[in-house]
Amino acid sequence: MSIVWAILRKDLVTEWRRRDRVAAMLVFSLLVVVVFHFALPNRATDQAPAGAPGLLWLAYVFAALLGLNRAFALELENDALSALALAPGDRGWVFLGKAASSFALIGVVQAVTAAAFALVFEIDLIAAAPRLAGVVALGTLGICSVGTLFSAMAIRTRFREVLLPILLLPALFPILAGAVRGTAAALAGTPIPFEAIQLLIVVDGIYLIVSFLGFEYVLDE
Amino acid sequence: MSAAVSARGLVKRFGALTALRGIDLDVERGGALAVLGRNGAGKSTLLRVLSGLARPSAGEVSIEGLPQRGGAARRVLGFVGHATMLYAELTARENLVFTGRLLGVDDPGERADHLLEEDGLTEVAHRRVGGLSRGTCQRVAIARALVHDPQVVLLDEPFTGLDRRSADRLGARLGRLRTEGRTLVLVTHEIPQVPQLAESAVVLEAGRIVHSASAPDLDPRALEHWVLGEGERAS
Repeated sequence: MSIVWAILRKDLVTEWRRRDRVAAMLVFSLLVVVVFHFALPNRATDQAPAGAPGLLWLAYVFAALLGLNRAFALELENDALSALALAPGDRGWVFLGKAASSFALIGVVQAVTAAAFALVFEIDLIAAAPRLAGVVALGTLGICSVGTLFSAMAIRTRFREVLLPILLLPALFPILAGAVRGTAAALAGTPIPFEAIQLLIVVDGIYLIVSFLGFEYVLDE
Repeated sequence: MSAAVSARGLVKRFGALTALRGIDLDVERGGALAVLGRNGAGKSTLLRVLSGLARPSAGEVSIEGLPQRGGAARRVLGFVGHATMLYAELTARENLVFTGRLLGVDDPGERADHLLEEDGLTEVAHRRVGGLSRGTCQRVAIARALVHDPQVVLLDEPFTGLDRRSADRLGARLGRLRTEGRTLVLVTHEIPQVPQLAESAVVLEAGRIVHSASAPDLDPRALEHWVLGEGERAS
């Protein structure tokens, strides 16, 4: 576990000093919210648009793609990725450290995006916040698990910016199915459907285990 | 004496390209081996396979008797790559502390301070690595590789890009590593320095060892001939 904490701490410190990854994700996701605002001009002012949960998750996924694409870029500078690969024991712990830092940074962006989204679409975020946070956390856990694995796979290829979305988006279909349903319930103030939570937990578990085990081979040259 | 680094039948392929073609070598505990050869001969690939960064297509590597496969050998191994493997946004000390945590060092802060003092880097300890000179970065990179007190240190062209003063300092540091009894495997183009840096040398060509020599027969001129592909004619 010391490897996980070491990487999480290092990534947060370097991001605090660079501020490029969170800034890029934040600006992008806020712009997406503004684009949605102008794309849906004729909605009733007293209720959120029917597609609000899907739109919110679109902003989240696009921001996460940006963030995950940068997750290993820092490690390529000065070949620091080799230092991570030389950590003793199972390289799955390196995966957990990188996934944890992505989870934390994307989480910050999601919180700000949700606030902007609520403002633009006149949603009572305070009432929905606890349930919404739970659903978003489960969805983001899945995105960061499989996203960290694919980001590490793509980073040494020439087409990494293109490869990551191509690999990642299909893998996010089951996560989005559960997350959008859960978010719709949270925004409507109704209980989160058990099937949505179950789907997210199962997919998260599968992605975490597969990524943990697969990371050993991903870091090999 | 038993071998600290042992390789048997190492083959490494990258698609259609075969970078290593059946390398066998042993480096005795406390010994120092220089790996020589022209660009593209397979020197860096050999070092990366020995370190566990690259998986061999065939063959076995053991470090201090531990099989490289599985990652246990990484605990007793220090690696200095062609690049510094340091984070530009972190200070020299933070880089060392991070590596110490990664490698499970008990008190990484104390160990980092000790290494920085030993290597005369205390003045730059709290400066970000991104603002340091190439020579200083290389010294920090070597300290980074020694954070977990490894018995075996692999170095890939550590003199590249260094000015004379930095190269002399690095040579002295490598000398200290040898007197401390660590095993060194060093890829270098500095053939005249080989007798000072190592007590044995191998010359690679197209992924094969074409010549090996040990002290006192470590003649830089003969090694140069072998590196230039004129070895058989010269001998």
